[in-house]
Amino acid sequence: MEAARQIGVELTVASEQRSTLEAENPAGLLTLDFKNPERAADHVHAFARTYPIHGVVGVDDDTAIVAAWIAERLKLKGNSTHAAEAARDKHRQRLALADAGVPIPRFELHLVAEDPTAIAASTRYPCVLKPLRLSASRGVVRADNAQSFMKGHDRLKAILAEPDAAACGEPALHFLVEDFIPGYEVALEGLVVNRRLHVLALFDKPDPLDGPFFEETIYVTPSTVPTGLQTAIAQCAERAVRALEITEGPIHAELRYNERGPFLIELAARPIGGRCSAVLRFGDKGISLEEIIVRHALGMPIPSLQRERVAAGVMMIPIPGAGTLREVRGVAEAKQVPLVEDVQITAHPGERLIPFPEGSRYPGFIFARGETPATVETALRDAHSRLTFVIA
Amino acid sequence: MPPPDNTAEIRITAEPIDNQRCKFVLSVPVLSGGVRRFAGADEAKGSPLAAAIFAIPGLAVSELIVSGNIVTIVKKSPAPWQAVGQAVGIAIRSALTADVPAVTPARKPAAGEGSAVDDDALYEQVAKVFDEQVNPMVARHGGHVELIDVQDAVVMLRMGGGCQGCGMADVTLRQGIEGMLAQLVPAVRGIVDITDHTSGANPYFQASKK
Repeated sequence: MEAARQIGVELTVASEQRSTLEAENPAGLLTLDFKNPERAADHVHAFARTYPIHGVVGVDDDTAIVAAWIAERLKLKGNSTHAAEAARDKHRQRLALADAGVPIPRFELHLVAEDPTAIAASTRYPCVLKPLRLSASRGVVRADNAQSFMKGHDRLKAILAEPDAAACGEPALHFLVEDFIPGYEVALEGLVVNRRLHVLALFDKPDPLDGPFFEETIYVTPSTVPTGLQTAIAQCAERAVRALEITEGPIHAELRYNERGPFLIELAARPIGGRCSAVLRFGDKGISLEEIIVRHALGMPIPSLQRERVAAGVMMIPIPGAGTLREVRGVAEAKQVPLVEDVQITAHPGERLIPFPEGSRYPGFIFARGETPATVETALRDAHSRLTFVIA
Repeated sequence: MPPPDNTAEIRITAEPIDNQRCKFVLSVPVLSGGVRRFAGADEAKGSPLAAAIFAIPGLAVSELIVSGNIVTIVKKSPAPWQAVGQAVGIAIRSALTADVPAVTPARKPAAGEGSAVDDDALYEQVAKVFDEQVNPMVARHGGHVELIDVQDAVVMLRMGGGCQGCGMADVTLRQGIEGMLAQLVPAVRGIVDITDHTSGANPYFQASKK
């Protein structure tokens, strides 16, 4: 909303649940059935006869698909529905990437209802159990042997039976078993313009993501990965973009590399989460990632795709434990750590905190900016050490 | 012996609304029983907190609203709030160490003193819109919107219930309430949300995950 406001673009905000004020601003508020993107696109097509739409942007995994359907229906800039859906479904994504020879973990698709003992007996370890549709690493579990596979399977099965996960339909009946790829993980933020990937930022993830669960913590950019390897990582992501037939818009990719080179772990046809994106600024004026995305969707000139010179980082604050959040202490102290620019606590008092793999909602975010990635990382850790979460 | 440094105990939490507007929620009240709006540095005389904030180099503050323990800043600078938050914190803390009140209450205009806008009349009109239209609607999501004040045709409001801390609060404000006021009370020049959204215990929609 802020990006649109900055560049003077009138906005229609679509949501799954009806805004209570929709009747008062029928041009600016719209309710769509995100679970049925085709119907949502028809709805927007009719809406656009009264209130013309010139661009569409999805903000998360689900709305990236809805945006693709709308773009296709209204002939706006965007990805094909085929590409958006292939990026959204982890199995379809892996099939497309494997066909194109993009390096990815070896994978197998299984039914949740299958006998897990048989799968555990035939699987290569270490492996990763992964749902097809959930986001933010929810339900992703590493298993090092048959025993931990069985435990992980039980947890994943329970997660997929939860109402919000089961609402995914058919994908919630399956899961992937993949090879665990050892190595260093990075995240690539990019913008695809007319099939060409522009790397906006490469983030290091200095905390090892070796499982058993895959909660994110720190993202720092620019990456300290050697330049040649960065090029190989970008080429791997670009091959994935081509394989998935993504033609326009933002992408967020997770990759790992080791002595065998880079592997693509995930690629989503959407930007990094809205909170984390605050860490990125571009050009002399420090424009936001969202402004770049809105400008691109509308075919407006983009002043710069060059990230600012200084290092920047964000910490997704680890979920401190299970329970009801009563209070967060030390926020002011954390904000006073040199280089820390902001500490945002997004969990509200009384909110139930659920650790990974069942949960996936971080209780807050810490932002820092400085001369080098190392000083930024240190500042983030220092600020985090000053926070105390009081949980009942 | 130097006086004790009470500012170390003051906690300040920044809550950006967008790149232009940010609320700073303090652990101590700055102005009890009312709202004070400053439209420029010339109005900050006698209010050290406002003067200190208007004086922050490069921030280009265009508006400052103080209510209770909340300081809302509207700036023209494109710098993100993360980059300027510490300077604001220093300004606020320095003002709170002064021997004089950090913010003096708004002066009521003397009889016969002219004003370009009649804030009292606007207040009545906005309050009517809130009572009769906005609040019955947001109540469906357990929310409510309280009109705090109107100063120089700028509406100051506070959200509560399901609206406080709601992931869609800004959509409600910008795509809903702002449009309604533009249509029904066109003399309104702007809206400032002075809600402490971090304290919302029962938001209707949760904030984003990442």
